[in-house]
Amino acid sequence: MATAHLIAVGSSPLGKTDLPGRDLFSRAIAEAFEGLPDPADVVDGLYVGAQSERYENQIMQGTLMAEWAGLRNVPAERVEACAAAGALALKNAVRDVRAGVHDAVLACGVEKMTAGGTEGATNALGAAFERALEQRSGITAPATYALLARRYLHETDATERDLARIAVKNHRNAASNPRAMFQQAVDVETVMDAPDVAPPLKLYDCAPVTDGAAAVVVANDEVAADLQRRHDAVHVAGVGSAANNLAVAERDLTFVEGANVAASTAYEDADVDAADIDVAEVHDAFTVCEALLAEAAEFAPKGRGIETVEDPGDRSAGWTDVQINTSGGLKARGHPIGATGLLQAIEAYEQLTDRAGERQVADANTALLINEGGVADAHTVAHVLTHND
Amino acid sequence: MTDTDSTTTGPLAPEDITAESPFTLPGFFDALAAGRLMAARCTECETHLLPPRPACYNCGSRAVTLSEQPRTGEVVSYTSVKRPPSAFEHLAPITVAVVELDSSARLTGRVTASLESVAIGDRVELRVCDPETVDIDPEFNLSYEEEWPVHVFDRL
Repeated sequence: MATAHLIAVGSSPLGKTDLPGRDLFSRAIAEAFEGLPDPADVVDGLYVGAQSERYENQIMQGTLMAEWAGLRNVPAERVEACAAAGALALKNAVRDVRAGVHDAVLACGVEKMTAGGTEGATNALGAAFERALEQRSGITAPATYALLARRYLHETDATERDLARIAVKNHRNAASNPRAMFQQAVDVETVMDAPDVAPPLKLYDCAPVTDGAAAVVVANDEVAADLQRRHDAVHVAGVGSAANNLAVAERDLTFVEGANVAASTAYEDADVDAADIDVAEVHDAFTVCEALLAEAAEFAPKGRGIETVEDPGDRSAGWTDVQINTSGGLKARGHPIGATGLLQAIEAYEQLTDRAGERQVADANTALLINEGGVADAHTVAHVLTHND
Repeated sequence: MTDTDSTTTGPLAPEDITAESPFTLPGFFDALAAGRLMAARCTECETHLLPPRPACYNCGSRAVTLSEQPRTGEVVSYTSVKRPPSAFEHLAPITVAVVELDSSARLTGRVTASLESVAIGDRVELRVCDPETVDIDPEFNLSYEEEWPVHVFDRL
């Protein structure tokens, strides 16, 4: 099996922008290929994660983005798993490189979420939930996650204030991330006093509606050696994915079992343990997700995921020393649905290659990424990344 | 239609999967309109599947049978949808809950009570509504959904 490396990364500005999806994609590609040959001379195929065609009334994003990157007559496919689409694009690119099908593949994601206003985004996101009983009961994304949060607060010692502290931590991290949508800190009182969205979740418990695109180049040893100094590349050491139930009613509300399976599979593939992970980007679409995923990734004992905000030395016994969502997470870096999984990979790339500036975690050598779609882990893709020594 | 009391021991036959069978959504909603809430039950691991489907997500078995469900149960979790999808705006704020029926089958539904008056553990009862009385924007419905009833939960 060939080794898959991340050799280059790029992203567009994140937030509400005046650029349509394909132009956001162009921004990401321009950064990723800065100083490299043309994409057509580097990659043999493309996967693009995109949650919904409803935002811009456009399917065939594989074909379209390939054209915009100057690629022709190569495999170019859109992949969809709601908010896990970005990591799914990465997973497919890694699979192709490992299998020797391609020497290098472009994994990218794009979403122009503001095109239809708040109503357009609510309706497009609503399609991710089970139709017959749940959509027809009027649920939304925040409501489904609020059902998880309510039960989590009921079964554990965690409080709404604890959830608020996750938002505060992630805003603090984003303040030193030049890619982030919200580069400013907030305090706990601001989070607690914000309007309800779906109780117990309030405005700052929820990731924003975001326009954005991201791209990473996945390459085998030869291409990586050709184009990049060895120590500047990152090795994709492990991959795992799993589906859980689509209907929120039919799943364990306080344990994201599919995410646990995906993370465990990625650990096994990479031959690492949870304790080996230095930095993790986990899918905090809503604050409660970060606590649930800390437990699913086996960083935290069951019911103690909420301590993700504490410095490693101040956490309960059984916690690892991992630093979670140094990018600011979905909450503060932004959440352009189809691009989010690649933005997680970009943060890991920057941490593992010592490019993370003020938010750099010392001696970060191993990273975990968890990207989810649907209600929490209805679909999860996990990757373990390591630094090429 | 597969009989409620049948002891199914293997996969459904292709001819069992028709719009008259509660193992499909049209059959499930026809039964619901007639006042019967149907789930499938796995004969291997006892998991309830609501709406019914041909295979058990828990153990993988296709030995599933039909089981009429009790209408009463309790709230497992709940919230309020302040800004629902546009077709449901007239109902906002919508209280929604995950309810565990007395059989242990679970489903999500609207609760006809304010958020403040609901708590985990509350007893509720399922009620079946004619879709016209719920007044969901007809644009929302797919062609095959127009006659499907809508369920709600009333507090007991």
